[in-house]
Order: sequence, then structure tokens, then C-alpha cells
Amino acid sequence: MQLLLLTGLFLPLAGFLFICGLNKILPRRLVEVAGPGTILLSFLTFSYILYCNNQGVPLPHITLFTWIPLKGLWTDFSLRLDHLSLLMTLIITGVGFLIHAYSVGYMDHDEDLARYFSVMNFFIFSMLLLVLGANLLVFFVGWEGVGLASYLLIGYWYKRPPAAKAAKKAFVVNRIGDLGLLLGILLTYSLFGTSDIQEVCQRVGKEFTIGAPLITILSLLYFWGATGKSAQIPLHTWLPDAMEGPTPVSALIHAATMVTAGVYLVVRMHPVFQMAPITLQLVAIVGGTTALFSALCATSQSDLKRVLAYSTISQLGLMFLATGVGAYFAAMFHLTTHAFVKALLFLSAGNVIHMMHGTTEMDKMGGLNKVFPKTNLLFLVGALSMSGIPPLAIFFSKDIIIESVSGNTLYYYAALSVSLLTAFYLTRAYMLTFRGPCLVKDVKEAPVVMLAPVAVLGLLTVFGGLLGFAVNQAPLLMQFLAKDSLAFMAQSFHVTISMWISILVAFTGVTIGAFYSRKSLAIFFNSFYINQLYQALFVQPCRAIANCIASFFEPKIFDSSLSLTQDASYKTAKILQELQNGQIRSYIAWLVVGASFLIIYLSIASL
Amino acid sequence: MDLTIALFVSFAMFLIGILGILFKRNALIMFLSIELMLNSANLLFVAFSRYWGNQVGLAWVFFVLVLAAAEAAVGLAIIINLFRTKQVVDVDQYNLLRG
Amino acid sequence: MTMIVLGLLIVISALGIILLKKPVHACLSFLLTLLGLAGVYLQLNAPFISAMQILVYAGAILVIFMFVIVLFQDAYLAIDEYRAKSKPFWLVLSATLLIVTLTLLGTRLKTLGYQKESLPEGYGSLEALGKAIYIDFFFPFEAVGLLFLVAIIGALYIGKKVQ
Repeated sequence: MQLLLLTGLFLPLAGFLFICGLNKILPRRLVEVAGPGTILLSFLTFSYILYCNNQGVPLPHITLFTWIPLKGLWTDFSLRLDHLSLLMTLIITGVGFLIHAYSVGYMDHDEDLARYFSVMNFFIFSMLLLVLGANLLVFFVGWEGVGLASYLLIGYWYKRPPAAKAAKKAFVVNRIGDLGLLLGILLTYSLFGTSDIQEVCQRVGKEFTIGAPLITILSLLYFWGATGKSAQIPLHTWLPDAMEGPTPVSALIHAATMVTAGVYLVVRMHPVFQMAPITLQLVAIVGGTTALFSALCATSQSDLKRVLAYSTISQLGLMFLATGVGAYFAAMFHLTTHAFVKALLFLSAGNVIHMMHGTTEMDKMGGLNKVFPKTNLLFLVGALSMSGIPPLAIFFSKDIIIESVSGNTLYYYAALSVSLLTAFYLTRAYMLTFRGPCLVKDVKEAPVVMLAPVAVLGLLTVFGGLLGFAVNQAPLLMQFLAKDSLAFMAQSFHVTISMWISILVAFTGVTIGAFYSRKSLAIFFNSFYINQLYQALFVQPCRAIANCIASFFEPKIFDSSLSLTQDASYKTAKILQELQNGQIRSYIAWLVVGASFLIIYLSIASL
Repeated sequence: MDLTIALFVSFAMFLIGILGILFKRNALIMFLSIELMLNSANLLFVAFSRYWGNQVGLAWVFFVLVLAAAEAAVGLAIIINLFRTKQVVDVDQYNLLRG
Repeated sequence: MTMIVLGLLIVISALGIILLKKPVHACLSFLLTLLGLAGVYLQLNAPFISAMQILVYAGAILVIFMFVIVLFQDAYLAIDEYRAKSKPFWLVLSATLLIVTLTLLGTRLKTLGYQKESLPEGYGSLEALGKAIYIDFFFPFEAVGLLFLVAIIGALYIGKKVQ
């Protein structure tokens, strides 16, 4: 069992090293097979672990080696597989494999395929390390790794300036969040002496009271980190720009896996968060605000991928809203279904983009349902599911969230508005892309290698809701997760009046979207001018300081201090040079001086 | 009393010798001043040998005398060589070994 | 009394060495100094040393000096054409320092006291000196002999005319 875990974790790393190291000599076919192949094997390994666990084998916990043997900071490099992380690994490797297979078709015009697949493999490895880490430091290693992979992949086409800028922006904004997480980890060490997740979660309830200020600060720091990674306000500006990367990258990293790392962190450390009700309130408010805000922005975008990016931010906001009220199962269930549906949407959008040779502007698309019939169907399924139409997957998870927040009227109306807006803008995107007059000719449908993974995701979308739906008993996923902690047992799906209200809201949104698709508002289009605000507040002053240092400090102060030293030693040498002028009488004079001192010393010393 | 006078004379000779080296530019006069300094040391030896009453000082005078002779011979040979090269006796002009 | 006179003679003729313009005159002044010194040695009960002084210094060394000075006796005129290169300030400073030092030393030695009035038997005679050289200081004697040999060879070699 332990060996299986290690295999599952390190296969993608082996793939990364293999493809990266033997880059020059591997034939293209081999790279195309090896890249997805390692992820498929990893997925099969984790599925087998799931199967064994159902038969009763306990889940493994491995310590690889002692990493930091210092007293206040003792850390082992250990991995723990429990049900929460098993769910995450299955999502990561499963959806990851489908996207890898899809990339084989998407990137067929690209020369540098080995770099792509090696970094994708590295990303999967880091994400697995993130979810499998038994202590916060290993988690942080994975966290940083996915940040790095995100940078490398957004800037994959590095020769394009917008892509390079977007990659830099993503990394820097992520870094700001990482600062919070790092501070949180250090605070954990100082409070508990260890960062082992299980130990911290068990001890926090005993050692601190609810609402203790230190725990509030700790949970705020964790949430700060989660904000950066999961693109919540105010650190959300990187995600729409991250769409400069290839579409499979957007699907994998910025829809299904990396951005969910923040949600995973909050759910993982939920005992800590439950000790700090203030933070939970903040989480809910930030989540709700972000959801509403980005849903508004998504209604007026003209770029297909940006609509989906804002949609991701919005759904992540919903997940955080759910965790803020304590509905952890709802958040994880929504995470799962969202992974399927968002990947489906992104990949079918990728089909369109690839077959249209790189255009992402919806103004240039229209009436594609005649040319791309299969993609049309798949995108429609995704859009309907995301809008919350039963019995597709998202309906169940979103309804559980709405039901959990129904206690608080503000959250309830916010969630309903988000639902309405989501339905609206997705239908609008569908209409703009696939309906209306057809402006392009001689494009054809995507090849099988690109359609098959999307079809699998479509199936998952249709039937995935069953994971969280059951009558008169706890659904499958909840039973699965509840083996970890009873906090997952709280909510389940009920047929109530609010369910009918949310269905009504969803249908309304779809209808409005179908008819009012052409208009857009400038303020939403520029996402409330937040980018410009950040540029003026932060970027310009830093640039000014850098200019000042480069043009003033460095030549005048640093360089001149160096030349001062040089001058000083030169002048000293010049002075000392005068001592040796070749004149015998001067030398004799020095001799006499020395001799007199000697005589004085000897005559005084005989005192 | 004799000793004190001898001491003063010796110091005076030594001082005059040093002044000669420092302030005269003729190489031969400088050399003469060196011989004067050696003589002052000789006088000290003899005076103190008389003071202590043993022969040690006189023996050393013997040796110093021999040394002075040898050194005078070699030194003058060098000065003659220098004069052959540069045709002047001014020591200030022998300054090729400068830094 | 004689000591004082002889001392004055020595000092004045030493001053003459450095103050006289012509080198020949300086050399003659040196001769006078040596004679005065010989007198002083006699006064200090060292007859052999005084004889040696006359023989070696006045008879040999002074003669060599005389030879070389005669060789260059007109060269001293050319000295005034060339400006002195060593700054006189430093030279004066070092001379002053030396004077101060010697004064300091002199003041400390004033309390040395008088000499022994009684001398041992045969002080200053040749026999006693020979005993001292050949018995007590035999090694320095041999070394000085070797040194003399080396000096002769050296002087001959350096003074050789280049072909």
C-alpha cells in the first residue's frame, strides 16, 4: 500500500525528469505517449488504492526522511493519504490525464512539446505533493511547485509579450499570497512546535479557546495564502490574464486543480478555522463578494476564455462561501463537480479555438453549431450544467451550497444572484459562439484525440451529480469523506422550496441569456478598473523607486565609493613612493632617526 | 675626570661624523666622516678599558682598527669605480635606484 | 689638563674635516685628529694602541685616502652646479634628533664616576694585549684575519680596470 502511494506520487516526477532530461533525443511520438501515460498510470494506482480501501485496507502514511531535525521546527518529509486527499488525487490525476491526452491534439503544431509535457508532469507531481503532504511544510513545497509550474505554463509561448507579462503577473500576485501562508506556517511552528496537520488539528481544540486572537491571526494568514492561490479579491487579477497560456493549461491549472488548492487548504485546516468565527465570517464575505463581482465582470467579456476565467473565480467564491458557513462537504462536492464541468467547458472552447486557428474573440465566432456539431453539444451540456439545470452535476452541488447559506439572508441572495448571473453569461457565451450567422468557412471538426477526453468529461458532467445525491441516506461522497472527520456530515441534499427557487433562477438566467446576448457594459468589461487601480497604486511607485536607484544611487553613491577607495590607495602609494627617492642622504637621515630612537630607548630602559 | 672628557669627545666626534655624512655631498668627505665615527668608537673602547682596568677593550680596539683598514680599502675601490662610471663625486647624482 | 687640550684639538680638527672646502685640507685635518687621538690613547695608558693608531690609520689609511683625493681633487668644484636633491628639512631634523639623543645619553652618563686610580700590573703593555688576543679572543682574531684576506681580494677585484 505504501509502495502504491509512492508509485502514484513519484510517477509524474519520473515523467518530468525523463522528458525534461532526454529532451533532445526523444522522438515526438514517445513524448506524446509518455506524457499522458505517466498520469494514466498514476490515476490507475490511486484507483487501485481506492478499491483496496473499500475492501478494508487502511490508508497509508509514509515518512520518507527526516528533513529538518531542529527542536522547534522538527519536520519529516512525510506523506499521508486520507479520504480527502484521495478524492483530490483522483480528481487531479483523472482530469489531469484527460487533459494531457487532449493536449496531444491541441499542441500538434507546436515544436517544443517536450517542455510542455515535462512541466505539465511536474505540475501534477507538485499538486499531488500538495494534497499528500502530512505536514504544512511539504504542503508548502507543493504549493510553491504549482505556482512555479503555473508561471512556466502561462508563459509557455514566451516569445509573445502578453504571455510573458501575464506569467510574471501570476507569479508575483501568487507570491503575495505565499507570504501570508509562510507567515501562517511559521506561526504554526511557534504555537504548536510542529506543523503536522493531523496533530495541529487535534491539538487546536484542546489548547485554545474559540475566538482566541492567536488562532484568529493564524487562520487569517492561512486564508491570505488561499486568497492568492485561489484568486479571490483582492488577489484575483492574475487569473483572467492567465488565459494567455494554452487552453489545456487553463483547463488543468486554472480551473480544475491549482486554484482549488486554496479551498483544499481551508477544508484541510477546518478545525483551526472553526476556532475563529471571525475568520470564517471573513471567508464567507470575501467568497461571496468575489463570486458576485466576477460574475458581473463575466457578463460583458468578449473573449471566450475570459468568460470562463471569471466564471472560475466566481465558482471558487461560492466554494469559499460554503466553507465560511461551515459547509465543508458542500465545498468539496462543488469542487469535484466544478472540476469536471469547467474542464469540459475549457476543453470544448479549446476545440473551437484550435480549429479556428487561435482566435479567442467571440466577435469573430458565430454560428459554429453547423461546423462543429459534437463540440456544440458538449459545450451546451457544460453550459447548462454550470447554470444549474437539473439533473446535471453542478445543480446538486450548487443547491447544497445555497441551502447551507439559506440561514443568512445576505449570503442567500448573493448566492442566488450569482446563480442567475452564471446562467446568464454562460448562455450568452454559448449563443455568441455557436448560434447566429456563421462568419467563417472551411473549418472542420476537431480530431478524435481532442474529442474523446471532452466526451468523457461530458459523461462525468451528466452523471457526476449522483456522487452527492442519495435519498434517505448520506450520499456516496459524503460517506467517503466522513471517514475523515465528522464535520463533513452536516449537509445533504433535500428537496425543499429553495431547490425549486434555484431551479427557477437557473431557467430564468438561461432564457435571458438566450435573448439579450449582444450587449455589454464597459465597467464590467474592464472588471471595475481594478487592474488600473493596482497599476497606479503599486506598480508605478515600485518602478519609480527602481528607476531612482538605477540612475541615481548606483552610479553616484556605490560607484563613487568604490572609486574613492581606489583613489585613496593610489594617493597613499604615491606618498609612500616619495620615501624611496634614491638619495643616499635621505636614507641616512632615516637611519639616524632610527638610531636615535634606539639610543633613547636603551638609555631609558636602563632606569 | 679623564673618562668624562673622553666620553664627551667621543660623542662630539660621532656627532660631527654624522653631520658630515648628512650634509656633505662629496663622496670622499662622507667616507672620511665614517672613519671619524669609527675613531670615536675606538676612543670609547680605550677609555672604558682604562676604567675597568682589563685588557678587553684594548683587544677590541685592535680588531676595530683592522676592520677600519679593510673597509677603507674596499670602500675607496668602490668609490673609484663609481667615479669611473659617472665622472662626478656628488652622491646626489647617484640616484638610479629610486622607487 | 693634557686631556682637555687634546680633546679640544680633536674636536676642532674634526670640525675642520667637514667645514673645509678643499678635500686635501680636510684630509690633513683628519691627520691632525688622528694625532690628537694618539696622544689621548697615550694619556690613557695604552701606548701600544697609540702606536698602532699612528701606524695603521695615519700611515696606511690616510695615505690611501690621500691617493684617491689627489685623483679627484678637482671634482669637488662640480658639486655646486647640481642642486641638492634631498630636502634639507629632513636632514636638519634628523641631526637635531641626534643631538638631543646624545645630550640625553650624556646626562645619564655623567654619574659614572672617576676611574680607577690603581691599575693592574702590565696594563697596556704588549704582553698583556697579546695574551688577551691570542687566548681570550682567539676566534675573533682568526675571523678578522680571514676578513682581511677577503677585503684584499675584494678591493683588488673591484678596483680593476675594465678591459
